[in-house]
Amino acid sequence: MVREGGRIVLGIESTAHTFGVGIASSSGEILANVRYVYKPREGGIHPREASQHHSRIAPKALKEALEHAGLRLRDLDGIAFSIGPGMGPCLRVGATIARALALKSGKPLIAVNHGVAHIEVGRLVTGCRDPVVLYVAGGNTLITGYLEGRYRIFGETLDIAAGNCLDVFGIKAGIGPMPAPEEYARRGGKFHPLPYRVKGMDVSFSGLLTAALKLLDKVRLEDLCLSITETVYSMLTETLERALAFAEKNEILLVGGLARSRRLREMIEAMAGLHNAEVYVVPPEYAGDNGAMIAWTGILQLMSGQVVEVEDSRIRPRYRIDEVEASWRRIGL
Amino acid sequence: MEEDRALSLAREAEVIRIGAEAVVSKLEWNGLKLVSKHRVPKPYRMPELDRWVRDRRTLHEAKVITLLRRLGVPCPAVIMIDRSTSTLYLQLIEGSELKKVLNRLPGERVDELALRLGEIVGRMHLGRVAHGDLTTSNIILDSRGRLFLIDFGLSMITDDLEELAVDIHLLDRSLDSVHHPVRSRFMRNFLKGYSRVVGREFMLKIVEKVKEIRRRGRYVEERRKKP
Repeated sequence: MVREGGRIVLGIESTAHTFGVGIASSSGEILANVRYVYKPREGGIHPREASQHHSRIAPKALKEALEHAGLRLRDLDGIAFSIGPGMGPCLRVGATIARALALKSGKPLIAVNHGVAHIEVGRLVTGCRDPVVLYVAGGNTLITGYLEGRYRIFGETLDIAAGNCLDVFGIKAGIGPMPAPEEYARRGGKFHPLPYRVKGMDVSFSGLLTAALKLLDKVRLEDLCLSITETVYSMLTETLERALAFAEKNEILLVGGLARSRRLREMIEAMAGLHNAEVYVVPPEYAGDNGAMIAWTGILQLMSGQVVEVEDSRIRPRYRIDEVEASWRRIGL
Repeated sequence: MEEDRALSLAREAEVIRIGAEAVVSKLEWNGLKLVSKHRVPKPYRMPELDRWVRDRRTLHEAKVITLLRRLGVPCPAVIMIDRSTSTLYLQLIEGSELKKVLNRLPGERVDELALRLGEIVGRMHLGRVAHGDLTTSNIILDSRGRLFLIDFGLSMITDDLEELAVDIHLLDRSLDSVHHPVRSRFMRNFLKGYSRVVGREFMLKIVEKVKEIRRRGRYVEERRKKP
């Protein structure tokens, strides 16, 4: 199953509502990918309740992942965990378990940046090599790409995330979060201008959300859904276009929950066509938060010597991806 | 159809720059030397939205230029606006990008220009306009030794001091990367001229903001550079 001399790493993800355990091998196989998602009874994620869910489910998830891969703790070559960014109480659960496993087994501990892991698993499963990445999810909106040793942030939201903007709009409009606004948009016809805030490669959505909410009850909901989704997606596509030209790359990788949007993909594909660029989309099982992405990035870091001591493994809730030295890219991984 | 019209007006046009959102060309119109800046349609955007965005940006840029000229900031005059094609026709400034000539100038000349640029940017900032992309490629030195600012595509009218500080940060980064030997004397004189116009207190406030931006280390210079 795993080639002679190959490495195996177990990865733990617990940045927000997902507790995941994945196992990956250095040949690029995902041997296990177990996920348990905390669902709040109402409203958004409560960090403490989510962390209690993670603590409860952790032993079960670990056991299932090892069983699924047919491995025991001593077969592993390293223990990886997401050190950030994310919610403190949630991160602490994964970090604590990873430290304990590393100490017990005497295997190296590997601290992985959650955002970098999304990108790396995307590269692994889609086969793209050096993409400009649009990372759009409920809590994240950024455009990044590898340049001189790191994933540089070319553009990002200056206030709320794109997914958050559409979710909040849908909930306040009484139709629920995404994909509801996009479904309503398909029946829209008339376009209403909304604030279109692109600053270089950065975007801003809060003014747009406020303006759209003010129009509720004043215009047809379907038209408003059309206007807000078209505006948000156009802003993302335009900044992505700038980043593509700036970074001189010819691959685009879409990561995160909003990558599921049909219309956004259609727009990005049309833009990519103008520049002879290829579009890659991460399939659903690896698009959301998962342990496999942490395990795979753990492999890359292990192969390039990026491991940490337990005493240096404090969680980093505000860890930015451009703080990570992507040393595996330098050795062609 | 829209394209045809833009092209027919600019039949003799010579494209000088293809940017992320606009095509800039040189042309002659009734004996007048002009620059046209055509914001090209983006086929991925809904036509209504596309027209609206390009129209708004064209008007915004014209508005900022007009405001700046009133404030005494040297920049190319707006000759006409063709809203049907989102094209701005501007006075052609004959000269060279500061980027291309700065390294060849004698030291005292560098000091003079830096001082003068400081005054110009100071006047712009007093009017609460942030250029948004202030690098040495967007500063023109004409044949009579005068400085002009160009390309207000990313400009902003704002009360946010940070946006103004970004201008100075970007200028400093462009000096550091392309004009390293003159960077410190340039910035010293730039701030002298800037301070002369905006006052010492305001200048120090802005410099403090610039330091803050740098500390944040957000690779701003890379992200703002135009493709």
